[in-house]
Order: sequence, then structure tokens, then C-alpha cells
Amino acid sequence: MVARLTARKAVRSGILWGYIFGAFVASSAWSYTTIYKTQTERDRLAAAFGANKAVSALFGPAPDLQTVAGFTVFKTSLTLMILGAVWGLLTSTRLLRAEEDAGRWDLLLSGQTTRGGAAGQALGGMAAGAFTIWAVTATITSVVGLSSKVHIGAGPALYFALALVSTPIMFLAVGTVTSQLAATRRQAASYAAAVLGVSYAVRMVADSGIGFHWLIWASPLGWVEQLQPLTSPHPFALLPIAGLTAILAAVGVHLAGRRDLGGSTLPDRSSSSPHVGLLFGPAGLAMRTLRPTVISWWAAIGITALLTGLVAKAAGGAIVGSSVHQVFSKLGAPGTGPQAYLGVSFLILAVLVAFVAAGQITAGRAEESSGRLEDLVVRPVSRWYWLGGRLLVAVAALVVSGVVAGVFSWVGTAAQHTGTSFTTLVGAGLNVISPAILILGVGALAFGIWPRAVSIILYGVLGWSLLVELIGGIGAVSHWILDTSVFHHMTSAPAVPPNWGTNGVMMAIGILCALAGGLAFSRRDLQGE
Amino acid sequence: MGAKAIRTEGLTKRYGDTPALDHLDLEVVEGEVVGYLGPNGAGKTTTIRLLLGLIRPTEGRGEIFGLDCQRRSVEAHKRLAFVAGEAALWPSLTGAETLHLLGSVHGRVDEGYRDELIDRFDLDPSKRVRAYSRGNRQKVILIAALMTRADLLVLDEPTSGLDPLMEQTFRHCVYEARERGQTVFLSSHIMSEVEAVCDRVGILRQGKLVEMGTLAEMRHLSALTVEATFDRSVPDLSHVPGVSSVQADGRVVRCQVQGSVQPLLQVLANAGVTQLLSREPSLEELFIALYGGEAGDGTGDDEGHGLAG
Repeated sequence: MVARLTARKAVRSGILWGYIFGAFVASSAWSYTTIYKTQTERDRLAAAFGANKAVSALFGPAPDLQTVAGFTVFKTSLTLMILGAVWGLLTSTRLLRAEEDAGRWDLLLSGQTTRGGAAGQALGGMAAGAFTIWAVTATITSVVGLSSKVHIGAGPALYFALALVSTPIMFLAVGTVTSQLAATRRQAASYAAAVLGVSYAVRMVADSGIGFHWLIWASPLGWVEQLQPLTSPHPFALLPIAGLTAILAAVGVHLAGRRDLGGSTLPDRSSSSPHVGLLFGPAGLAMRTLRPTVISWWAAIGITALLTGLVAKAAGGAIVGSSVHQVFSKLGAPGTGPQAYLGVSFLILAVLVAFVAAGQITAGRAEESSGRLEDLVVRPVSRWYWLGGRLLVAVAALVVSGVVAGVFSWVGTAAQHTGTSFTTLVGAGLNVISPAILILGVGALAFGIWPRAVSIILYGVLGWSLLVELIGGIGAVSHWILDTSVFHHMTSAPAVPPNWGTNGVMMAIGILCALAGGLAFSRRDLQGE
Repeated sequence: MGAKAIRTEGLTKRYGDTPALDHLDLEVVEGEVVGYLGPNGAGKTTTIRLLLGLIRPTEGRGEIFGLDCQRRSVEAHKRLAFVAGEAALWPSLTGAETLHLLGSVHGRVDEGYRDELIDRFDLDPSKRVRAYSRGNRQKVILIAALMTRADLLVLDEPTSGLDPLMEQTFRHCVYEARERGQTVFLSSHIMSEVEAVCDRVGILRQGKLVEMGTLAEMRHLSALTVEATFDRSVPDLSHVPGVSSVQADGRVVRCQVQGSVQPLLQVLANAGVTQLLSREPSLEELFIALYGGEAGDGTGDDEGHGLAG
């Protein structure tokens, strides 16, 4: 019963994500055949990217770029690894911890199953979701591969899809463990996200070409990279992936069986003396309840910025004299050297800061869907006051995020004597705030008009924007499409100075969207789940 | 006539073609305790959510102390406190922190009374909400509402999850609130609770208010329950004017009497009755009698006037 219920939810989500994965693979393969038509162009691309440390650190290694298969793997792997990991940890923490917190597992466990058994069954159901992603991705890749221009065989397509789904599978297992350790879904997702962040950072250092390539075996993302589908497959890398998944799954089931329903493995202080400092109203409450999540994001942003700063000198030096700078120019970072590398790196930091913004909106929606918002608005609290307070807290969190990005990237560059000034990098950090404020406004608008679709809309906009930026950086993409990315109008500081006028316009649009969202919210019914 | 704590005029809420509440005209005078009854899905919670501004009416309007529920909700909420049937609280906060937050947001707290309530409801305020049982979470929102000494208490199944001792504590709090002149609007399934504390009762059915009156008025409109024990075989009472629902069990017969009991007493006097018991219908019997006609047991018509003479 548990497996069936979980599978139903996971498969539904798996169909959508399998389609996204497949569509990304298909578009990458097709864009390569249409943009790089001749072998000469393809060889030039391979020469530009092939051994470039900057590219390798940011996007992963780029072997065999002179082939459709090699380019497709390069374009899709890292993005789908991260998206897949996020799917895995959010799905597992939702179907395990969140369901338990909502009390729905009380009903299920009154039947003929144990806590450990139920967790195992849930894992089985989630595996069905991962299988769905694999099946849909493999099908789309195989169909695209039938084209004589793309030419990817069925077997390689299946193996490629397996490589892409490896990260979601591993992070389903990670989320299963963190759901046992943590007392709430939010905590569980934060712990799992921290694992993802560290994995990514370790992979980045390993691929940066500064002599730590052995670290690739210390990162689950690195294992997936080592599978090298479509180019020179190394299926032995499936061993650590399968091993980690099996071990984490067994640990998760074991921990589920040993703890109380509703409890957590890590000690959770069930009582304490009151700390009422921030509990003066809705804004203070938002600061108090979101503090752990926001601090986790600041830590992730800080670590990423620090590592980016540490590798900037070496990676940026590799751009000098190469044609990679043309690609970087397409991404808005002209020139060579560490500044250009940092300019592109700050795009990734901008994405992280935008995720902070999206999280603030979804947290607000969770207050409404859970019924907790009603505790406030049945008291002398207007909806405008509640929403306005939360948005101001969100903006403050975004400003700090930008400052953290700037400061820690400077710490990294200063440690390597890169020579980039503190004010330049803090300016670059503040530069990434404006797309996040735009996202915040779009989220507030969605919350006002269609609250049950807030997550889909927000993460859809973010995913689309990132996809457009990455494809635009490699191929020729119409400016109409590029303009739909929230990151496209952000300059790639510190490669170029921030354009505060454009930033102002983005923020103004975000504010207008937020006002429209507030108006819609003040006029609609409160809606539960 | 006293000032109106609650007043609705044609208050209606439709979801698509389905009327959840259908042209409700309701008045609650300041200082009275009104019960609001109805089966699941009758529209009780919809009424309360409209009054609180949580949802928007399709038609009509409502007022709290003369303030429009939708347009002047913030001002209206300064004078009321609400208890929901299911507590939705912040899991990471303790009971004390939750009470502090809700008190700060309301802007009005009688701290001494709050501490007294914590004691009376036997709540450990140092525990985090996620460690509370369902009943203890309900206590938190009860205390959060009562501690404000609000002019109007809007209670939607407030004792949900409470044990009988705590239910009794809650009733005493309502008595005290009434003594202080507070108005109480109580929606509940627990008939004994409504019967014990309410001055007037309204009964909702499929979104319409079908009955509104004091318990005495409602009992007058309903049937008396009579139980008679005989020293011989029971007589046939089915043709006695005003008598219905006759049930014989050995030498005991039970029946309902509407209107005058004189015809029945004349028959019983000559039939060897050894014991005669009569009682007014409980609120539960009134309620069941009102809705019993829908099930086809012939106790009421389509308008639900099974209670009417």
C-alpha cells in the first residue's frame, strides 16, 4: 500500500522530469547539429573547450566535443545532475518526512506494516519514479538518436539515461537518511542540500586542474561524471553509485525502524525556555522560522563563492590566448583572465541567490496551505501587512546573500593574490540581487493569482532561465528567447561593471509584480493544500 | 434590543454551482451565547470563515460590531478572538512562544488570566508544539483566544481533541465569559456542550438557517417523550390524538406527544399504568428530529419543520 501510494506520486513527478531531461538532451543534440554543421567548426569547438580548466571547473570536463554525442554529454550532464539531485532530495523528504509530519503515516502504520517496512516500501515507490525518469529520458534520447545527424544508438542511449538518473537515485537515498535524522521536512531537505553543495564543490575543485583531480572520487557527482556515457563509457563507476545508494537506503530503513513515529534520530529538543525576541509580529516570525534555511543557503553561497575565488586565478589564466573567451563573451563576460572567469561564475551565484528568493515565496505559501496563516489574519493583521513583512524579510535575506557572495569570493581571490579588489567583488555580489528580486516579485504575483501552482511557476521560471543562459552561452539563440531569462539582463560583473540602471528596472518590475500579487492576494479566498 | 455583535444580510457563498451558504440572515446580540449547529457540510465553518474575512462572499455581507467583515476586517478582529477546530501552529515554537506571538499580534493580553488558563488547562508551555498531542495543541489556541478577553469569541468546535475534564474547564471559561458580558458564537457537534452554555441555538441545513431560537422555544415546538409502564398488556396508543412513534417493549410503551397530553392521559388512566415518565427532548433529539425526515422515517417535511407544530 505504501509503495503504491508513493509510487503514484513519484511516477507522476518522474514523467514530468523525464520529459524535461529528455527535452534538454534532445535540444542539445539538435542545436549542435544545426550550429556546428561542419567538422572544422566542431574541431575548433573541441580545441577551445577540450582542455580548458575554467570550463572544466564550471561545467565539467569536455572530451569529444567534435562529436554530437560528446557535446550532448558535456551540455547536459552537470545541469541535469544538479536538477536530478534536487528532484531526488525534495521527492524523498516530501514523501517521507513531510507525509509523516502531516500525520498521514499514522493511518498507514495502523495497518500491517512496520515503520522500517513502510520506509522500505516508500523507497520502492520512489525508485519507480526514478525508473520513470530513466525510461522517458532513454526513450526521447533513442528517438532523437535515430536521426542520421545525431546518430546515438539504443544501447548508448539507455546507458546515457542511466548516467543521468544516477544522481536522482543517489539523492533519493540521501533524502531518505536525512528524513530520519531531522525532525522536520525543512531540516531534512536542508541537510540533503548541504550534501549536494559539498559534492558539487568537491567536484568543482577536482575538475579545476589545480592538482586535486583525485578528489573526483570523493564526490558522488564526480562518480557520475566518471561514467562518461556516449563517449568512452566506464560502467565500473556505477559500483560506488550503487554502493552508496544501497548503503544509504539500508541505513535509512534501519533508522526508520528504530525511532518513534514523528520523532527524529538526531536529538530534537522537545522543550526549552521561551525565546521571544523576534516574535513581535509576522515579519519577526518569518525571520525566526526561516532563519535555519536562509543561513544554510548563505553557507552554500559562501562556500561556492570562496571556491570560485580560489580557482579564479588558475582557471582564468587558462582563458588567456584561447578561444574560450568568445564563449565567455556570449555569456556576457568579455576579456580574459580571472575577471572573465569570475564574471561567468557569478551567474551560478546568481542562480543560488534566486533559489533563496524562490524559497521565501514557497515558505509563505506553506504558511497558507498549512493553515498557520489563518492564526495571524484572524487577528488584527491585514494580508498586506503579512505579505509585505515577509517580502521585506526576503529582500534583506537576498541583500545579505549578495554580500556573502561578494565577500567570500574576495576572500578566495585574495588568498591566491588574484588582485581583484574587495569593492569590485562586493559590487558583483550586489549585482546578482536584482534578478532574485525579480523572481521574488514573480513569485508574489503567482502567490496572489494561483497559489497552488507557485512552486511549479517559480522553479519553472528559474529552470527555464538557467537553461536559456547555458544554451545561449554555447550556441546561437534568438535574442527573443534570451530575453526570457531573468539572468540575461544582469551584467557579468566583475568582468564588466554592473549596470545599475538595468538592475533598477529589474527590481522595479519585481516590485510591480509583488504589488499586483498583493492586490490579488488581498481579494481572494485563503486556500489550503 | 441590544447592539449586534454579529449581523449578516443575505450572506451567500457558492463554489461553482454549489451553494455552501445560502442567503444567511443572522443576528447575535452583544452579551449572548449562541450555538450554531448543523451536520457536516451544512455551512457552519463557511459562515465563520466569511465572518472572519478568510473567504469572500458571493453575495451579501456580514458585520462584526457594525464593522464590515471584509472591508474593515482588521478593526473587527481587534474585538474578537477565534478558535479553530484544528490547531495549525508552528512546530518549532514552544507553547509559551506561541502564546507570546499570538498575544503580540492581537495586541491585547490579560497576562494574569493567561497564566491562570495555562494552569487550569494543565498545559506545559515549555514544550515545542511538535511535541504536543492534538489535544494540547488545541489548548494552546483556546488559551490564546481566551486570554485576550475579546468582546466576541468565535469558536468552531473548540473542544475538538480535549478530554472530558478539559471540556468541563472550557465550559466554565465560557460561563465566566458570559458573566463578564462577552459574546460567544459557538459552532459545535457536541449537543450537551451547546445545551449547557447557549442562550439561543441556530440550526443550519444545506447552507440555510432552518431554525433559530432559545432551547425552550425549540422544545415547545417539538414533541414530549413519554414512557409508561403497565400492570397488564399495553393498550393501543396509535390512534390517540397527538401521539406518534409508539414503541412497545413488554409492559413498557414509549411514544412522542405533540400538543396537549390530555388525550393520552385519559387513555393511560384507564389502562393500569403503574409508572409514568416524561421529559422534554434533548438538543440531540431535536437535531435528529429535524434531520430525521431526510432519511424517510416520516418525522419531518422537506423544510425540516419536524420540530414545528
